[in-house]
Amino acid sequence: MATNKNKERNDGPVNEPDYLNVSKGLKSWLTTLDHKRIGLMYLFGILASLIIGGVFALLVRTELMWPGQTIVDQDTYNKFFTLHGAVMVFLVIIPGIPAALGNIMMPIQLGAPDVAFPRLNLMSFYLWIVGAIMLVITIPFGGLDTGWTLYTPYSLESKTAVLIATMGVFVLGFSSIFTGLNFLVTIHKFRPQGMGWFQMPLNVWAIYATAIMQVLATPVLGITVLLLSVERFAHIGIFDPTLGGDPVLFQHFFWFYSHPAVYIMIIPAMGVISELLSVFARKPLFGYRFVAYSSVSLALLSFLVWGHHMFVSGQSRLANMVFSALTFSVGIPSAIKVFNWVATLYKGDIRLKTPMLYALSFLLLFTIGGLTGLFLGILSVDVHLHDTYFVVAHFHYVMMGSTLVAFMGALHYWWPKFTGRMYNESLGKICAWGVFLGFNLTFLPQFVMGSRGMPRRYWDYDAQYEIFHQLSTIGAFVLGISLFVSVCYLMASFWTGKRAPRNPWGASTLEWQAPTPPPLYNFEKPPVLHELYNYDDLVEVEEDVWERRAPTESEPSEVPGNAHAHAKGATEVPTAGNPVPDKDDEETEEPTEHPRVTATSEDETKPERGAIGTAVEPPSEKKEDDK
Amino acid sequence: MSEKAHVASGDDHGHGHGHGDASPFIQHHYDDAQHQFDSGKFGIWLFLAQEVLFFSALFVAYVLYRYHHPEIYAYANKYLDVKMGAINTAVLIFSSLTAAWAVRCAQLNQKKGLILCIAVTLGCACTFLVVKYFEYTHKVHEHILFGRYFDPCVSSGGNSLLTKNNECPGAKGTVEWDYSTAKPIAGCLSAMAIDVDPRERGIQADCEVFETSGSIQKDKDGKEVWVEKSRKPITNRCFDAVFGDPVWGGGDDLSSPATETGKDKRPNDAFPCWNPSLQPAVCKDGWFFSWNCTGPLCKALSGGEGPFDTLQKCKDARSGKEGALKGEGTPWVSECTAGHGAGIVVEYGDHALRSSSTTRIKAECKGPPPPPVVPDPLADKPQPLELGQKAVTSKRALTHHENIVLESHGPPPEHTGMFFTIYFAMTGLHGVHVLFGVFVFIWLLIRAVKGHFTPDYFGPVDFAALYWHIVDLIWIFLFPLLYLIH
Repeated sequence: MATNKNKERNDGPVNEPDYLNVSKGLKSWLTTLDHKRIGLMYLFGILASLIIGGVFALLVRTELMWPGQTIVDQDTYNKFFTLHGAVMVFLVIIPGIPAALGNIMMPIQLGAPDVAFPRLNLMSFYLWIVGAIMLVITIPFGGLDTGWTLYTPYSLESKTAVLIATMGVFVLGFSSIFTGLNFLVTIHKFRPQGMGWFQMPLNVWAIYATAIMQVLATPVLGITVLLLSVERFAHIGIFDPTLGGDPVLFQHFFWFYSHPAVYIMIIPAMGVISELLSVFARKPLFGYRFVAYSSVSLALLSFLVWGHHMFVSGQSRLANMVFSALTFSVGIPSAIKVFNWVATLYKGDIRLKTPMLYALSFLLLFTIGGLTGLFLGILSVDVHLHDTYFVVAHFHYVMMGSTLVAFMGALHYWWPKFTGRMYNESLGKICAWGVFLGFNLTFLPQFVMGSRGMPRRYWDYDAQYEIFHQLSTIGAFVLGISLFVSVCYLMASFWTGKRAPRNPWGASTLEWQAPTPPPLYNFEKPPVLHELYNYDDLVEVEEDVWERRAPTESEPSEVPGNAHAHAKGATEVPTAGNPVPDKDDEETEEPTEHPRVTATSEDETKPERGAIGTAVEPPSEKKEDDK
Repeated sequence: MSEKAHVASGDDHGHGHGHGDASPFIQHHYDDAQHQFDSGKFGIWLFLAQEVLFFSALFVAYVLYRYHHPEIYAYANKYLDVKMGAINTAVLIFSSLTAAWAVRCAQLNQKKGLILCIAVTLGCACTFLVVKYFEYTHKVHEHILFGRYFDPCVSSGGNSLLTKNNECPGAKGTVEWDYSTAKPIAGCLSAMAIDVDPRERGIQADCEVFETSGSIQKDKDGKEVWVEKSRKPITNRCFDAVFGDPVWGGGDDLSSPATETGKDKRPNDAFPCWNPSLQPAVCKDGWFFSWNCTGPLCKALSGGEGPFDTLQKCKDARSGKEGALKGEGTPWVSECTAGHGAGIVVEYGDHALRSSSTTRIKAECKGPPPPPVVPDPLADKPQPLELGQKAVTSKRALTHHENIVLESHGPPPEHTGMFFTIYFAMTGLHGVHVLFGVFVFIWLLIRAVKGHFTPDYFGPVDFAALYWHIVDLIWIFLFPLLYLIH
C-alpha cells in the first residue's frame, strides 16, 4: 500500500473521517486536543478580533478626516487608538500566523500527528480566550487610553480600565509562551527521520525562530505588566517617580519584550512568504540555508535592539549609539531574505493566484517598511521623526502591510487544505488588489505628513495635513472593505465552495500529501518525503489539481516509510526501497523504516524514531542530527 | 489529571495504543516512552528558561535601584530577619536534595522511597511558606512595607508608636493655607519636626503638597467645616532660595540678584512648585523671610501686608540675632514674628494670586526622626553592668523598628520603601512559585501512592524536581541579595 504512489496523490475516498467530522458537538470542540481544531478556533477568534480592531481603526481614521472634532471627542479618540493598537497587536498580529495557522499547519508540515503537548496547546488557547475577553471587556469598563504601550507614569494615573487590560496582557503573554514552548519541542522532537534541520520547510524554520522569542522575551512582558498591575492597586512604587521608582525602567522592560514581539509578528510572515513564492514561482527557494539562518539571526538580534524605541527617552548617548548600530545590523538578515525572494522569482513560472498576489504585495510593502525603519534607526533623524506619523506609517508597513498581508496570503494558501473548500478565486484576486491599493493609499501619505511634522496620536491637526489625512482615511476604508469582503467569501466557501483537491497549488511540502481536510492524526498513511521545493515531478492535471508523476528512471526512486507509526493505517511494514544515495547521516544508513518499537523502556537506548521515506537531498547539504 | 483530560476529549490521545505493556501514561502521539520523556524534558527546560527571564526583570530592577540608591539598601536590610532567611535557605536546599532523591527512587522503582521523598519535599515547601508567613505578618504589623506604605512609626491601628525617646521619629503634621484669607488654617509644624538639622540644606521632612479644592459646609452642629473634594498633588520642588545657588528671579515681579549677575533664569524650575525650606511659612506663628518684591505673590506670602520693597530688620530664626542680613542689596529682607515654625511655600510660575475661596494649599509632612541618642549605659544603671546584661531595660517589648532606631545613625533615607518594593516583589513572586510547587508535589504524592510511576514513566517526578531546583536556585540568589547586604 505504501508503495502505491497513485494512492497518495489522488483524493479518492478517504477511509476515516476528517478532523472536522471525527466527532460532533460543541463539547467535542471545546475539549479537543487536536491541533487543527485548536488552530481553527484560534483562527475564528483572531478574525473576530481583527474585525474589532479594524472597526476601531476605521473610527480613528474617520475622526481624522477633518481637523477638529469629526465624530468623537479627544478622550474617546484616545480610547479608540489605544484599543485599536492593543487588540491588533496582542490579539491579531502576534498570534495570527503562529498560533492559528502555525497550529493548524506546522505539525502536518513535519509529518507529525500532533504537537508535542496537546493539552498545553488547548490551555494556551483558553488562556488566549481569557486574555482576549479581558482586553475587550475594558470597553464597557471605561476603555483604555494609555496607548497600547502602557507607558508609565500615565498608565498609573489613567482613570480607564488599565488594570483589567494589563492582567489581560499578562494572560495573553502566557498563552504565547506556552504556544512557543510547544512548537519548539514539536520541531525538535517530532521531525521524522529523514527530515534534518535543513529539510524543514521554511515556514517551520520561521515558526521555530518565532517560538524562541516567544519563550524568551514574553516572560519579561509578563513580569512587567504584573508589576504595573500591582503598582496600580498597591502603589509599590517601582515605576512611580513620586515614590522613587523609575518610569523609564518600564520602557526598557516593555521594549525588551515588544521589540522581539515585532519580530514575533514578522518572522512567521516571512516563513509563509518563503513558501508561497517558491510554490507559485515553481522554483526552489533561492538560498534556502540563508533564509533559514536569517530567520534565527533575526530572532537573536531582536533581543539586542530594544533601546532604539527610546532614543529620546533619556538614554545615555553611548546607549543610543550602540542601539543605533545594532539596529542597522537587523537590516542584514532582512535584506538577505528580500534578495533571496526576488532571486526566487527570477525566471520563475509565476502563477498569480490569490496567495501569490498577497506574497508579491508583501515583498513590496516589507521592503518599504524595512527601509523606512533604517531612517528611524539613525539617531539624528529619529529625533525629528520620533512620535510622528512617519513612525506610524513605518510600523504599519511592517506589522500590517507585511504581517497581515502574509496572514491573508497564508490563509488563502492553506484554506483549501484545512477547510476542504476552495474559495472564490476572482473575488480573492479583487480583494488582494483592494488590500494592496487601500493599504498604500492609507499609509504612503502618512510618511509624507510624518516627515512634515504631524505628531502621532493627535486628535486635531493643522490644515496643511488635511489632504494627507483624507487620502489616508479613504485608503483605510478601501482596505477595510477589502478585508471584510475577504472574510465573507472565505466564510461563504464553507457552504458554496467546491471541494478542494488534495494539492491545489502543486506544493511539495508534506501537508499537501495529507487528505483534504486531514483526518485526526493528519495522515491516513505515512507521507513520503520528497526533495523540498522541487516541483519537477508535479504536474497540473487539471486546474488546481496537481499530481506527482512517477519519477523518471534517472532519478532515485523514493523509499516510502512510515512517518509516524501512529498515523492511522500505518500498521503495515512498508517494503524497503532503493537505498538512499547520500548516506552521510547515520539515520539514513538504515534505508527502511523501523517498525514501531513498542515502549519496552527497560533498556536505556533510545528506540529509533519512525522513518519517513527517502529524502532525495541535495548532495551538497549535509544533514544535521536532530539532537 | 491526564486520564480525565483524555476521557473528556473525543480525541483519545491517551492510553498508548500499541505500546504493549508499557506504562499506560504514554500518550498516543508519541513514538514511545523515551520519546515522551525526551519531549517533556526539553519542554521543562524551556519552561525553566522562561522562568529565568520572568525573574530577570526583578533582578535588573534590584541592580538598578541598588546602584542608584545604595544608602536605601544599606539602611533597610536591617529590617530583614537573617535568621528566618537562613532557616528557609537550609530548608529549600534540603528539599532540593529530597526532590532529586525522589527521581532516583522512581527510576529504581522504589515506591516507598519515592513517597517518602515527595512527602519530605512537600513538607519542606510548607515549612518555607510558614516561615515566610511569619516574616510577612511581622512586617505588615509594623508597617514595614513597600512604597508609600513604609511607615515604621505607625502601628497597624494607625496609632503612633513611641520610641524609647518618647517621640516617634517621623511624627506626622499638616499645614494648610487658605487663599481666600491668605492665612494658614491648620497645624503648624514645629521647626524641629521638619527641620531637624538647620545646618543641613532644606528640611528633612517628607512632605506631600497638594492644591486642594473644596467648600465650606456646615456639619451637624452647625459649625462651618471645610470639606475637601479633590486634591492635586504638586510634586515639583522649587529651587532652594536659601541654601541654593542664589541665581534666580528673572520673573516679572521677583527681583533678585539674578538681574545683578546678569543671569535671568532659575535653573530647573517647573511650576507650580513647593519649597521645602525653612522659609516663609504658612504657619501663623511661624517666622518668615520675604522678598523685596511687589507682586501679588509677595502679598500672599506676607499675609496681605506687602509689598515689601525696603530693607527691614529681622531676627534670624537660626542665629537669633537681630539685624539686617548681611549684604546690602540682597533680597533677603526678612520679617520676623515670634515663635519657631516652618512651612511650605508654593510658588506659581504665573505669579497669579490664587484667591479662590475654594482652593487651599495643604502640605502633609512627616518629619524625620531626630538624631539618635546613644543610650548611656550608666544612666539607668549606676552599678557596672555584668557581662551579658542589657544596658537599658525597656518597660515593654520594643518593635523591630525601635531597635533599629536605637542602633542606626540617622533617619531612613528617602524612598526607603523602595527596598521593600523589591523585597516583596521578589520574595512574593518566589513564594507564589513555592506555593505552585506545593500543589505540584501534592499531585505527585497522590500519583505516587497510586503507583503510577515506574522506571518507564517517571517524567512528572523528574520535571517537578527540575522545577523545584530552579525555585531553590532563585532563593539562593535572593537570600544574600536581600538579607546579607551590609
